[in-house]
Amino acid sequence: MNIEVRDLHFVYPTGFEALKGISISIGAGEQVALVGQNGAGKTTLVRHFNGLLRPASGSVFIGDWDAARCSVAKLASRVGYVFQNPDEQLFSRDVGTEVRFGPRNLGYPKEKADGLVERALSLTGLTDKVEINPYDLSPTWRKMVALASVIAMDTPVVIFDEPTTGQDAATIARIAHVIAELHALGRTVITITHDIDFCAENFDRVIALSNGQVLLDGPAGEVLGQEEILARTYVEPPQLTRLGKRLGFKETVRNQEEFLAVVARSAR
Amino acid sequence: MHERLSFHIKRDSALHRLNPLTKIFLVLALILVAFLNPWYWTPHLLVLIAITPLSLLARVGAEYFRAAARLILPAVGFLFLMQAFFQPVGEEILFQFYFLDVTRESLMFAFSNAMRIFVMVSAFTLFLLTTHPSELMSDLTRRGLPGQFSYVIISTLQILPQIQARAQTTIAAQRSRGLETEGHFIKRAGSLIPLVGPLVLGSLVEVEERAIAIEARGFTSKSLKTSLHDIPDSSIDKALRWALAVIAILSITLKLWLS
Amino acid sequence: MAFVNLQNVTYQYPLTKSPVLQDITLQIEEGEFVAIIGPNGAGKSTLCYALGGFVPHFFKGEFSGMVEVAGKKSSDATLDEWVLTVGLAFQNPFNQISGAKYTVFEEIAFGLENTGVPREEMKSRVEQAMAQTGITDLSDRSPYTLSGGQQQRVALTSILVMQPRLLVLDEPTSQLDPIGTREVFGVIRAMAERGMTVVMAEHKMEWIAQFADRVIALKDGATLLEGTPQEVLTSDLLTENGFGISRYTSVAREARRRKRWRADVPLPVTLDQAAEGFAFTPPS
Repeated sequence: MNIEVRDLHFVYPTGFEALKGISISIGAGEQVALVGQNGAGKTTLVRHFNGLLRPASGSVFIGDWDAARCSVAKLASRVGYVFQNPDEQLFSRDVGTEVRFGPRNLGYPKEKADGLVERALSLTGLTDKVEINPYDLSPTWRKMVALASVIAMDTPVVIFDEPTTGQDAATIARIAHVIAELHALGRTVITITHDIDFCAENFDRVIALSNGQVLLDGPAGEVLGQEEILARTYVEPPQLTRLGKRLGFKETVRNQEEFLAVVARSAR
Repeated sequence: MHERLSFHIKRDSALHRLNPLTKIFLVLALILVAFLNPWYWTPHLLVLIAITPLSLLARVGAEYFRAAARLILPAVGFLFLMQAFFQPVGEEILFQFYFLDVTRESLMFAFSNAMRIFVMVSAFTLFLLTTHPSELMSDLTRRGLPGQFSYVIISTLQILPQIQARAQTTIAAQRSRGLETEGHFIKRAGSLIPLVGPLVLGSLVEVEERAIAIEARGFTSKSLKTSLHDIPDSSIDKALRWALAVIAILSITLKLWLS
Repeated sequence: MAFVNLQNVTYQYPLTKSPVLQDITLQIEEGEFVAIIGPNGAGKSTLCYALGGFVPHFFKGEFSGMVEVAGKKSSDATLDEWVLTVGLAFQNPFNQISGAKYTVFEEIAFGLENTGVPREEMKSRVEQAMAQTGITDLSDRSPYTLSGGQQQRVALTSILVMQPRLLVLDEPTSQLDPIGTREVFGVIRAMAERGMTVVMAEHKMEWIAQFADRVIALKDGATLLEGTPQEVLTSDLLTENGFGISRYTSVAREARRRKRWRADVPLPVTLDQAAEGFAFTPPS
């Protein structure tokens, strides 16, 4: 399912112009990371994808649907959105019921919903916690419950808002695994993140926003190497990219394998 | 985004500069006079010679008139109608509305009562428009009100916008999970638990952390508290308070003496 | 005697089955910047609460052992006395706003009002602290309308302004953008240079390696490793126990396995060390 954003503008009631003409197109199955400083407009942009915000001007199309003309509940069948703070959405007595809430709202038949819930729970490592009250879990696990509750909706597009904030290495690895599985299923994944190393290792395409405009948009390897431009939106290239630059590599490397490949080549 | 969390309008005026306690005295004196003065036209006159000029003096005329037109008048108007129709006093029937008789007395009674309420609410409105809540609380704390007490008041005043902001995020999150919040009543009633649940459960987490946060900043410290704001309390303030106290006492005495 | 002294601290929250902190003993010198690392659930936050006096004064449960700061034991002090010596900012910035103030300036002054700092001194301290953390331009904003990153800086400033002798921070940069994170680490480092003792729970290994003097690795409520960033962050024990490590360390470890990193050069923890080490890459 393609996402087409054309000259999107948005102004908050306070008069703050959060988006100043954004045009991007995201193809089905793409893995896109949105980066940029606090207040760059990342969250404002993705909230247009599921109709939570309506354009001041310009348009957003999710497949053949004009997002401005669809209710949020309707768009929820195409765009899943995991909010940053799980405590603002969890309400059920147990994890299983919580995860089932989305599929039930979308009116899936019971067998289909059962399968989706089960898959979401196992992807997020929650299978053995299905009967626990979400509020008896640690904040880390509550975040996974929020993740599972959206994945279970089986939408063609999934949005994550800062999924790795405050998480440890094992949890980040689990989130990376979830994203890889969604990729394998052909889902589009859009992730807002400050964790630039996580971004480099898990996303093909990176869009950097700054002051409501697109600063950079392209393959991760290209975008993440633009140190000076990224600095304008308070982003630094990933650790290994900076290390490669320091060592005088001609190409931009973004993960361990790419880095070691260059080291091996230059040693020859 | 809610930039404004209080009614207070920041302007430079004589009323703004008055000490908060003086303004409380002023509000109370106005209310006492409006309710206790035996002359029928007192509340009406107060609107003309006190409330309206004060709003202009405070340079919040526009805001005050807007509040009066949108909130105070409709509420007071409703009160007036209720009393005019349902107050069984007087004989001189002006007109009948189905089985309800409207007498001249009930009309007069309702009108003066409505005006009294109008004076009271208007006085409070002017007070809120010209007094910053934290100034009020700092002043009262300085005069011996326990710090915990003023904290409770201020944080309660701020809690509505907070709950509102939190509720908006929760609504956004649940709608994103396909919850239908628009449409007819029964459907919306069913969506109450997913909307209210996180508000309550999340707040419990919040309360504990908030308690730690203020404790970490010396909230229960036994040392004498100081205040960031210097709240003026001039000799004019003191003289005004005396004058207003005299007016209040006179009103009460007059009322007791007449009854 | 060390400035901070923990002896056999064991603590169990009410309603839980096992202790979160198990027999922790550690010493910290005045002016040291110590980072605490560990997987979620290792006890980092609880250790921060124990230093801040909230364990056992606020959270009940079973506490044993001793927490001593500047020669005073937390068990001998009341919480309101303790917070004058030990400042604590915790993870979630949203819940650290006092709720009693209308502007950021007032919010930061809150702690100084409570502890009776005279007005003129209060104003200059608030201004100075806001300049340090780079939030002067937020002065008149309502704390509620700020972004997570801005709120996090306000929460940090609100504690810094109280000038505690020991500053305890639980993931103070979780909401910040990358360059904001580095700035905040820089501010905290500068505080340590001026003699403030800092204990900080964090996941961001690159900045810990660059700014901290010492690292304590916690696992299941007990100290697993302790030492300089170089010693701790390059230990094989970390990866074996599910800790995250910096990309510099992990890429060099893999390079060493492939004979692309000299065996006699220690594994790197910072960009500079990694660049230096790879410049010596042995030819195959």
